[in-house]
Amino acid sequence: MLYFEKRQSVPQRFKVVIPIISLLIGLIIGAIAVAIVGINPLDVYGGILSNAFGSWYAFSETLVAATPLILITAGLIVVFKMNIWNIGAYGQYIMGAIFSSYFALFASNGLSKPIMLSVMVTASMVGGAIWALIPTLLKIFWEVNEVITTLLLNYIALYILKFLMYGPWKNPTSYGFPLSKTFPQNAILPILFNGTRLTIGIIFALIAVLIIWFLIKKSKFGYEIRVIGDNPLAARYAGISVNRDIIIGMAISGALAGLAGMTEVSGIVHYLQVKIGADYGYTAIIVAWIAYLDPLVTILASTLFGGLASGGYSLQITMRVSYGIVGLIESITLFSLVGAQIFLNYKLRWKNGSS
Amino acid sequence: MVHHSVYISLLANTIKAGTILLFPTIGEIFAERAGILNLGIEGMMLIGAFIGFIVSYTTHNPYLGFAAGVIAGGIASLIHAFISITLRGNQIVSGLALTIFGGGFTTFYGQKWINMTLNNTLPTLKLPILSEILYIGPIFFSQDLVVYLSYITVFVMWFILYKTTIGLNLRAVGENAKAANAMGINVYKVRYIWTFFGGLLAGAGGAYLTTSYAPFWLDGITAGRGWIAIALVIFAMWDPLKALFGAYLFGGINALQFQLQALGTTIPSAILNMLPYIGTFIVITISSIIVKTRHVRPPRELGIPYIREEK
Repeated sequence: MLYFEKRQSVPQRFKVVIPIISLLIGLIIGAIAVAIVGINPLDVYGGILSNAFGSWYAFSETLVAATPLILITAGLIVVFKMNIWNIGAYGQYIMGAIFSSYFALFASNGLSKPIMLSVMVTASMVGGAIWALIPTLLKIFWEVNEVITTLLLNYIALYILKFLMYGPWKNPTSYGFPLSKTFPQNAILPILFNGTRLTIGIIFALIAVLIIWFLIKKSKFGYEIRVIGDNPLAARYAGISVNRDIIIGMAISGALAGLAGMTEVSGIVHYLQVKIGADYGYTAIIVAWIAYLDPLVTILASTLFGGLASGGYSLQITMRVSYGIVGLIESITLFSLVGAQIFLNYKLRWKNGSS
Repeated sequence: MVHHSVYISLLANTIKAGTILLFPTIGEIFAERAGILNLGIEGMMLIGAFIGFIVSYTTHNPYLGFAAGVIAGGIASLIHAFISITLRGNQIVSGLALTIFGGGFTTFYGQKWINMTLNNTLPTLKLPILSEILYIGPIFFSQDLVVYLSYITVFVMWFILYKTTIGLNLRAVGENAKAANAMGINVYKVRYIWTFFGGLLAGAGGAYLTTSYAPFWLDGITAGRGWIAIALVIFAMWDPLKALFGAYLFGGINALQFQLQALGTTIPSAILNMLPYIGTFIVITISSIIVKTRHVRPPRELGIPYIREEK
């Protein structure tokens, strides 16, 4: 029979091989799922590929989708390393969008663009951080499970957004559509390349990754969060203020998700609406895991999954293939990735006999 | 002045809406008692709701649809079981993947079913004599077969958990897998069985939603109920009987929301729709404080993979 035998050392090349094979399994099962409904999988993947990487414009759209992913993932890495499960990036992203939109909609008079955008960036980070700190404090004081609370706060944030969009912040001339007035010019992020929708938001994302990389690899905080992740009790004995680090980590995570919300409304949509990139918060979890919580690798992984999202979205319009295929591929990839972790520490062996 | 029949129908709907939450909560209680945390309830409920809907729609038989949804939920749970039990993977991430899977699967295959409606839903079967009881009858005993099945499930499962060897073994596996193994219990088998059971019941919750309470198909129709069920497990402190109260409490919030909207309230619908999540948030916070101060706690080995040592 088959059994697992413990390895002496972790083969590092597996950390490259496993994500690639996982993605392949995701794509193969995705292909089967598509073939079942009578669509040629080659058409679908060809379509995704050309809509994601086929031209400079297509690639710029992939980077547009990658921007919030990079920002959110960079923050998630910090808390995931401590085994703190922030599943609430989506809600923090919405809060960032709401907080920054407030200034764009109601307090933009007479401010120069750099000042206005700085205010919006700050507001979005504060909004996201507040939304992340509520479950964090509950966890620290009363051990309230953060997986559930952060997730519930996603729904609560979404309904706050809906309340604003159908009520007080609704554009009176939007013919009943749930959206706000368009932002004034000074509240819109500058475009990086003419003819694309790529804004300086991607620069924010890259700076964020560098800061997180520095924090994790080079700072005392980075060392501490690794110890906390390995063994929180040992961390406490070693004199590390575990609660303080969790609070800092969650604030960073929430702030970056909030900033992602700002880059979306101020950079891409230019007004606030009910549907603002619902999947980024969950996709970022997959991106963080497939990158083995390495901040630099997340740039690559975010581009890949940004391409899948952007290509999949175009496909929905051009080929009427449901966007659900993206979730299917993502989830199978994640299943394969989690399932394959065992091969880092064990190898599969065959033994004769029944026991 | 609102006629008292409005309250009766509100309470009867509370039971219906509560049943959607009751099944998955009971299922998760048993999976967690065996040491397996399954955060994929939302995904399994969506799959159960979808399969339940399309089978009911195509066969015109809501019972068949419900059964199909139950089985679909069970099958979906086996992915999580294989990854967390056999492959000893991270249960939190695997469960989240299951939730994303359920969303992706039902969005992809559900595209052409959106806004379709079932003509025959689960019929109401008034129980003889019992349904005649004042107030109690119309609320509890003028329901459909699945609601009666849920009453039986709660009491049978409570009995199994606390009064039988099966329950004893199950609790042993969740509290101390190594000792359970030494006692001759097959830890892997027990965990597989109860994770599968959790999946069946999550499927039941979803299938009940689309074959009775909301007999149509919408993308993401379960709307976070799977997460409310996970919170209810803590509220119930891993006890099936307490789950009954939690499920009906939240069923009540759902039913009230619906009733207020039907009566044309001035409260914005976004605020009304937010209520169950705010409620869950408050309830999970309070239950966690109680769990912390009293001597109740989660199963000791919840979320920890079991590795049998080779002899």
